[in-house]
Amino acid sequence: MPQNELVTSLGLDEYKYHFITQAKPVFKAQRGLSEEVVRQISAHKEEPEWMLKFRLKALEIYYSKPMPTWGGDLSDLEETLDQIYYYLKPQDQMERSWEDVPPEIKETFEKLGIPEAERKVLAGVGAQYESEMVYHSLKKEWEEQGIIFESIENGLKLYPELFREYFGTVVPAADNKFAALNSAVWSGGSFVYIPKGVKVEAPLQAYFRVNAEQLGQFERTLIIADEGSQAHYIEGCTAPVYSTDSFHSGVIEIIVKKGARFRYTTIQNWSKNMYNLVTQRALVHEDAHMEWLDGNLGSKLTMKYPSCYLIGKGAHGQILSIGYAGDGQHQDTGGKVIHAAPYTTSQVISKSISKGTGRASYRGLVKVYEGATGAKSNVECDALLINDTSRTDTFPYIEIEEHTANVGHEASVSKIGEEQLFYLMSRGLSEDEAAAMIVRGFIEPIAKELPLEYAVELNRLIELEMEGSVG
Amino acid sequence: MANTMVIEGVTAAFNRGAAEARAAGSPEWLREKRLHAWQVYEETPFPTRKVEEWRYTDVSQFSLESVRLAERAGAGVVVPAAARARLEGKKAAGRVLVVGADVAAIELDEELRAKGVILADLAAAAETHPDLVMTHLGTKALPAEAGKFAALNGALWASGIFLYVPRGVRVEEPIRVVRWIEEEGTAVFPRTLIIAEAQSHVAYVEEFASPDFEAPTLSCGVVEVFARDGADVQYVALQQWGKGVRHLSLQKTIAEKDSNLDTLVVNLGGSVARVDLGARLEGTGSRSDMLGLYFATGDQHFDHNTRQDHVVPHATSDLLYKGALYDRSKTVFRGIIRVHPKAQKTDAYQTNRNLLLSPDAEAVSLPNLEIEADDVRCSHGSTVGQLNEEELFYLMSRGLTRQAAERLVIFGFFGEVLERLPLPDVVEELKTAIAARIG
Repeated sequence: MPQNELVTSLGLDEYKYHFITQAKPVFKAQRGLSEEVVRQISAHKEEPEWMLKFRLKALEIYYSKPMPTWGGDLSDLEETLDQIYYYLKPQDQMERSWEDVPPEIKETFEKLGIPEAERKVLAGVGAQYESEMVYHSLKKEWEEQGIIFESIENGLKLYPELFREYFGTVVPAADNKFAALNSAVWSGGSFVYIPKGVKVEAPLQAYFRVNAEQLGQFERTLIIADEGSQAHYIEGCTAPVYSTDSFHSGVIEIIVKKGARFRYTTIQNWSKNMYNLVTQRALVHEDAHMEWLDGNLGSKLTMKYPSCYLIGKGAHGQILSIGYAGDGQHQDTGGKVIHAAPYTTSQVISKSISKGTGRASYRGLVKVYEGATGAKSNVECDALLINDTSRTDTFPYIEIEEHTANVGHEASVSKIGEEQLFYLMSRGLSEDEAAAMIVRGFIEPIAKELPLEYAVELNRLIELEMEGSVG
Repeated sequence: MANTMVIEGVTAAFNRGAAEARAAGSPEWLREKRLHAWQVYEETPFPTRKVEEWRYTDVSQFSLESVRLAERAGAGVVVPAAARARLEGKKAAGRVLVVGADVAAIELDEELRAKGVILADLAAAAETHPDLVMTHLGTKALPAEAGKFAALNGALWASGIFLYVPRGVRVEEPIRVVRWIEEEGTAVFPRTLIIAEAQSHVAYVEEFASPDFEAPTLSCGVVEVFARDGADVQYVALQQWGKGVRHLSLQKTIAEKDSNLDTLVVNLGGSVARVDLGARLEGTGSRSDMLGLYFATGDQHFDHNTRQDHVVPHATSDLLYKGALYDRSKTVFRGIIRVHPKAQKTDAYQTNRNLLLSPDAEAVSLPNLEIEADDVRCSHGSTVGQLNEEELFYLMSRGLTRQAAERLVIFGFFGEVLERLPLPDVVEELKTAIAARIG
């Protein structure tokens, strides 16, 4: 079967997950934001007093900070923010078993392939539907190892002390306007704790989606990888297309303690009307490793710069980023690495593809503080432009205060080479197939780091997107 | 006076009256231009660190509060021996000596004058060649609207230099200019306008020098360079001010079809230097080599802000800025390559390399790309690091002292910039100046 037909037969057309099911939210806060809404959310979640105070303080900070004027175009955002619901709760109870999940929600998950994931022996699923975890399963063996993998709400209820010790310490509410907004109205997300020395073999997966129209999603995730532990957390998301703009603003906080290794993988494929403004940050202690693997394929505008604060001697941070900007999309992504301790090392690899009127921007920071003796950092950014209307930018910030540091940054911009195309076509490939193959080769260094099913999906998506795009 | 409106950057010395005074005796169009520039200056807010381009440099260093306007001395201008010495014995097709706000001396090879080359005081040229000056001075390159400091210079410039090279004329030796400040605490506003007609060739080398000063002293200059079709132009700025001088320089080069327009920006002296250099590749087949070299010691702060604007297809720009930092110095490099949608087949490169040679020095590097065409070759690279220990070890194993080895490696580091400059005499002078700084 010719490859083009094969792709079509896979059903990966324009937007695979463009469907809407009829879910009835149990509770709906009013549209727009106010102190009343924040109090309602907190009361509804039966939160302790300190959390309500934290939320209200964050709301004040949110109001006091101006809209960012850098990065992407946020001029329509203010109107959007007045229109969205800041909180929705689809069910009163957290579901423990699959049978209890309402049928229309199951139907949505079916289309997303969730049941397959569930059937996997090794995979755990924390599925987020609308604003909250509706379904959450944790494999027994993990419970035995003492691993905590809960919804963020349950984390607060069941482990109040552990939660309070770390919550808001990596990304304080005052960090930026959208972190403040998230801190005020957060809902949903995961709470993960990996005990000392525990190695988690299979990745922890959270699959979630936004469904109700104009629903704001303010997911909040807090992860603590205790000394010497190892784990991999995967988050992927997809949302149906609606006519009005949607908004997603998450905060991910990770603490990687001494000697621990942690990898956080996100594949973001929000529908193309979504504003996706996320703050992801990890504190990396002595001899610990933190890896961010960040894929941005969807959304109208994404502004996301996963960061590693290397605060312990010998800490290592790695950021691998893939951005795909199709027609009308702007991926403003990159990464930040702060070297604040001796002998810390970091690597950032960013690959972006801009097609049609898409725009992919790399924005990154490497900062080496005085005293971070022997720090080393290397940044590589490669951009591929498919059409003459596509655009790419590179905005790296390099600030070095330590004279024993070695820091390098390289970037290149290219298009698909005529010679490469000619060679592949002389071997019998159609132009589209050849172009898709070249693009796959371009992102391969990062795609190979993805779990198999994600890599397969990414490759299929690229084949589809490359149809009729050259020549 | 209590109800007088306070306008930022307007002081007893710097006001509309000062712009009027500078316009005295000039043609009406120039007077209007200066007053318009002053108007723009008053209406433009003083930049702050919140503005992205000023994020790493304290713009208040260029405040007019603590300096006074350097007045013209006219015929009574005294040329210090140290200033004159800087031009002596140097091969040149033309020489200009500027002291403070006065163009003290100009000489040009007679043969070139006969061929139509003009090297003149800009104020005089505005009267003798209004057609050329009116259409190029502060128009498409750096008009008052380009910013607060472009407007300030546009209103108050003095000691302007005008260089015009007619079609097909080749000026074999460089034009050498020395700009000197003798009076402490003054502010000078140098201006340079260079027009190289089609197929012409010229190299223009200007040096900024002064004694060391205690009090803040300011130089706020504008340079505009036009290279017409097929012209070959080199512009070199050697900043070797004494201590205490704040150096602010706005430079814009416009390269037309098949022209070659190279620049070298050297920062060695002064206490704070900020150079904004914009290269506009406006003609197909044009090329700009943009070289930079800086050597910062003590508490020096150098900030380079470069721009490579590709607006047409088939143009090339290649930027290489290298710097060494000692003591508590800080340097900033911010460069942007901007490829506009129609500029296919662009080749644009940008490299910034820094040697951090002291625990207290700090280097900031921001190499940016904005690409809106797809068939381009663009790349940038940036590094911050130290001298290579292995290279030092090798040289020391051959009998060199550590100091001599370091010196050699630093020379090698800068050699990459210097070897690309087609002006052997200038290269030799620079090597001497760098050697003096390494000590």
